[in-house]
Amino acid sequence: MSGMNTKKANSTPRLLPIAMAALTLLLTVTAHAAAPGITSGTGNFALTAQESLISQPDGAMIYSWGYGCASTFTPGYAPTMPGATCPTMQIPGPTLIVTEGDKVTVTLTNNLPAAAGNVSILFPGFQMGAFSDGVPGLLTQEADHGTHSTVTYTFTASTPGTHSYYSGTQSDLQVEMGLFGAIIVVPNNTNSPACPYHNSSAQGTPETDFRLSHSAYHILESCYDREYLFQFSEMDPMIHRQTELQVGANQACVAANQTGVVCPTLDVPTEPYHAAYFLINGRSMPDDMDTNYAAQYPHQPYNGNPHMHPGELVLLRIIGTGRLQHPFHEHGNHVRILARDGNLLLSQTDSTKLAGPLLFTTTTTPGVAMDGIFYWTGKGLNWDVYGHGYSGDVTPCSPDGNGYYTHASGAADADPNYYEWCADHTKPLETAPTGSVGSGGPVTLPDPNILTNGTWYGGSAYLGPDATIRAVGPNGTTPPAGTVGNPPTTEAGFAFMWHSHNEREITTNNVFPGGMLMMMLVDPRFFPIDESN
Amino acid sequence: MKKVFHVCLSILLVCVMTGVVAAQSFRVQCPTTTALHPTAGASAPYIGPQAKNYVTTRSDGTPLTLPSLDSGGAVKCQQISGGDGYATMADGTETFLFAFGPLSGLNDISNGLPGTQLTATFMTPYDPLALAGTPASNGAVGLAPDNSGSPNPGPNHNPGFGTIDGHVDPRPIMDVGVMNGNMPGPLMAFDEDDEFFLTLTNVGMVMRPDLFEQHTVHFHGYPNASSFYDGVPDASVAIDIGGSFTYYYLAPDAGTYFWHCHITPPEHLQMGMVGQLFVRPRQNRVPNGTDLFASIKLQQNDLRTRSDCTQDILCTTPVPAADNGFTQGKNGYTKYAYNDGDGSTRYDVEYPLQIHGFDPNFHFVGMTFNPEAFADMKDKYFLLNGRSYPDTVNTSGYKDINSVAGTSTFQGAPGASPAMYTADSDNVARPSQPMHSVITMKQGQRALLRIADLDVTEYQTLASLGIPMQVIALNARLLRDQAGNNLYYNTNSITLAGGESLDVILDSTNIPIGTYYLYTPQLDHLSNDSENFGGLMTEVRVN
Repeated sequence: MSGMNTKKANSTPRLLPIAMAALTLLLTVTAHAAAPGITSGTGNFALTAQESLISQPDGAMIYSWGYGCASTFTPGYAPTMPGATCPTMQIPGPTLIVTEGDKVTVTLTNNLPAAAGNVSILFPGFQMGAFSDGVPGLLTQEADHGTHSTVTYTFTASTPGTHSYYSGTQSDLQVEMGLFGAIIVVPNNTNSPACPYHNSSAQGTPETDFRLSHSAYHILESCYDREYLFQFSEMDPMIHRQTELQVGANQACVAANQTGVVCPTLDVPTEPYHAAYFLINGRSMPDDMDTNYAAQYPHQPYNGNPHMHPGELVLLRIIGTGRLQHPFHEHGNHVRILARDGNLLLSQTDSTKLAGPLLFTTTTTPGVAMDGIFYWTGKGLNWDVYGHGYSGDVTPCSPDGNGYYTHASGAADADPNYYEWCADHTKPLETAPTGSVGSGGPVTLPDPNILTNGTWYGGSAYLGPDATIRAVGPNGTTPPAGTVGNPPTTEAGFAFMWHSHNEREITTNNVFPGGMLMMMLVDPRFFPIDESN
Repeated sequence: MKKVFHVCLSILLVCVMTGVVAAQSFRVQCPTTTALHPTAGASAPYIGPQAKNYVTTRSDGTPLTLPSLDSGGAVKCQQISGGDGYATMADGTETFLFAFGPLSGLNDISNGLPGTQLTATFMTPYDPLALAGTPASNGAVGLAPDNSGSPNPGPNHNPGFGTIDGHVDPRPIMDVGVMNGNMPGPLMAFDEDDEFFLTLTNVGMVMRPDLFEQHTVHFHGYPNASSFYDGVPDASVAIDIGGSFTYYYLAPDAGTYFWHCHITPPEHLQMGMVGQLFVRPRQNRVPNGTDLFASIKLQQNDLRTRSDCTQDILCTTPVPAADNGFTQGKNGYTKYAYNDGDGSTRYDVEYPLQIHGFDPNFHFVGMTFNPEAFADMKDKYFLLNGRSYPDTVNTSGYKDINSVAGTSTFQGAPGASPAMYTADSDNVARPSQPMHSVITMKQGQRALLRIADLDVTEYQTLASLGIPMQVIALNARLLRDQAGNNLYYNTNSITLAGGESLDVILDSTNIPIGTYYLYTPQLDHLSNDSENFGGLMTEVRVN
């Protein structure tokens, strides 16, 4: 395995992941993210904690513990997606989706191996009601392996927001092993703002609304058009291996049932700590860009594969777990932080105004949950990203009150340049391009032969198949096979890397690329984004 | 032994490189005029958006005229090399780098200044023997008369025949660019409303002929970026050895950004391919005596420069809640970190401080042909502007970067700049770490620290002993709520992750004359590998 990290067998690890990514992408061209989770009409959730193996892109199957749905419990799923499941063990645990004001009851059954000891759940940010069953633990009531293997937690989801939940028992081991998840509290309908909706589903193109709500909170500034949940965690494979071996030794000893032999209990050292896997929603890149509920990851149902159209408001729900901080860098624009741990950050002088910072790197610290709003429009580049302005071009761009070409200024759903920044309309980029795009601009692009194209390169400098085909033809610039993740003729989006800026964490067990890395795509308006698969 | 090995390698590489040169496609781009900036030279004062026509000529000869708004600005240019080199750590160790180096603005860069130039200077061919401070000491390396094609009408007619139009001779580029890596990479600074043409020229890595490394520039934090110029090789194009690529940016909103290569980031960033970049606000160009509040109101008249939080949740610089009457030039202040509208980000002196860390094991492996391990990367050198203490406070030969107007201040003989030099494997000493980190101000002055962190392994903390740090901005954005209230806060330490930036003002009002320290309270970062004192530390001198 250590031979795998030979960077200087350099061409191999660099081409291999690209090939891997390319293969993956063939399966995932329409695999997008949303914030999927489980619901319960009664507010009662029955969870279990169990062991299983999770899959990593280097081929490793890693022994882990996770929460899942008890086999007797049939949850609802939100948003509705084909293939939605809630296995008895998953990482992260099931995302619990509840509505503000719900009385929530979570029943946890301890199905971990006996050697693992008790297990529990902490719900930071909620006022807990009385427990039933279980046994008292240090931080909360726990489920044991005896007559109290079930514990019930109750609380009222009194305010909206994004929260984490995780084990409160021997946390340095149990959270490391995978016992964590998220709760999303969507606002109730009281005093909710009337949100404008920019998603094309509202405008006739074949796209479904995958939002859990229309706004994250009760203020207009929290309205959104898409939402994505990212949970950050890391794994030290040695801890997982040690745990697996010791659990096995304990089970063998118990099974042997020899008189007078005291079976070994779990004693896994969690220091020194050497994380080698860095996960978003339980997966490493490129697996994170496969579909939600993909069959090949039965215990890692959630993906990280954000897509959006220009101008759409995108809610990011970001959670840190585990023990390390991860600076999550969003390429493409800043993120306005709405709230931390479900608490809105508002101006001290005007509670209708936001006070959260604008960040290009959202630093996840263990236990923190953040909500933020992101969008991309291409405003202010001083060149027309749609490549207008060629001879005979009559494409309109009438600015609305904010300078964009939208319904408010007469744009139609099918317009490839819906939400274009009109001040740059027809402004050329290139001095003397070969294709049908604006000319007389400031730069000359070099011979494509001195450049290497990326897997997610749309094939030209421009956004969308219309502009790309006009600029460079249907294959994009050479080599044509280089752009399989973002095909020039169908998608030709602008791809942006969203990743941990502790760059050593965008690796999978010492192989680059991997780990905490995903590609966000700004797709041209008419390209339907299907978040369901 | 090591040296012998290197020299042999270099000889081998001369042959390899010769082949590369023959296939090169180097060139630079820095237009004299553009549609946005038809007049070359420095920016006009900012008096609000001015209606004008955006005029250019299409390649078929037809005119393109668009009604437009003008906020000033200028054309600025810079050329950098992507390659390798060596730097000297504070314990004397020579460390191998994958690095960017200057291929324009060489005199300014070697004096710790930004290498960004106006067109007239950039398009003056670099002359290594030119008097320091003259345009030829800061022009683009490699520029040569364009003798391609024919001066005469016909199929190969080159109307620019014989002129300096961006055509370059590869030999001076290789002569200067090979092994001239700097730590950090060349400093970039320009103004809002500027057009910035940044040419990256990949000269290859002499020490690693087994690698065919592309390089890119990621302008970290550029809002509403195009992915084409975002520098992510997976999402765009990467520049092969022997090629040049010109990145084009309209300056984004003012702030402290940074830049780095985005090829295999855990490797190329750890190995040193990082640099500072900041954008100055248009408020600096407001005429003397103008009310800054009135000026920021003028910015609302152009949708591009408007910051209306009722319409845009990512509004960058909201208008202040009230007009405090601060006018341009009050108490001598004409420099601000942001378009604050209230003078609250005014400063007398500014210092970029880039935090970084080097893992010597990784750098050794990076110089050889061995596999690199990423997960257990552990930094042992902790750097401010590419140096560790006490090198951070070695200011010998420098003029204060803030004491002289304009860009070029150093008047020494060529090759005798105050930069730290490191002998490379060919035994030629080249400037390797041009920036010291001493903050100097007169009592009562305000120093702006533009702090960025590009460490790839862990968070770093920088503390101030004695002088409070006022944090005014985070991630290149003013700390101000959407109601217009400043959310600045005082502290004595800041903590940043790799990939973050932050602006701090040190106000020396009522601070006794003396020397103060910026240092890390992460005590294991106050070391230079096995030397137990050094690392992330520098001085603030109030005089």
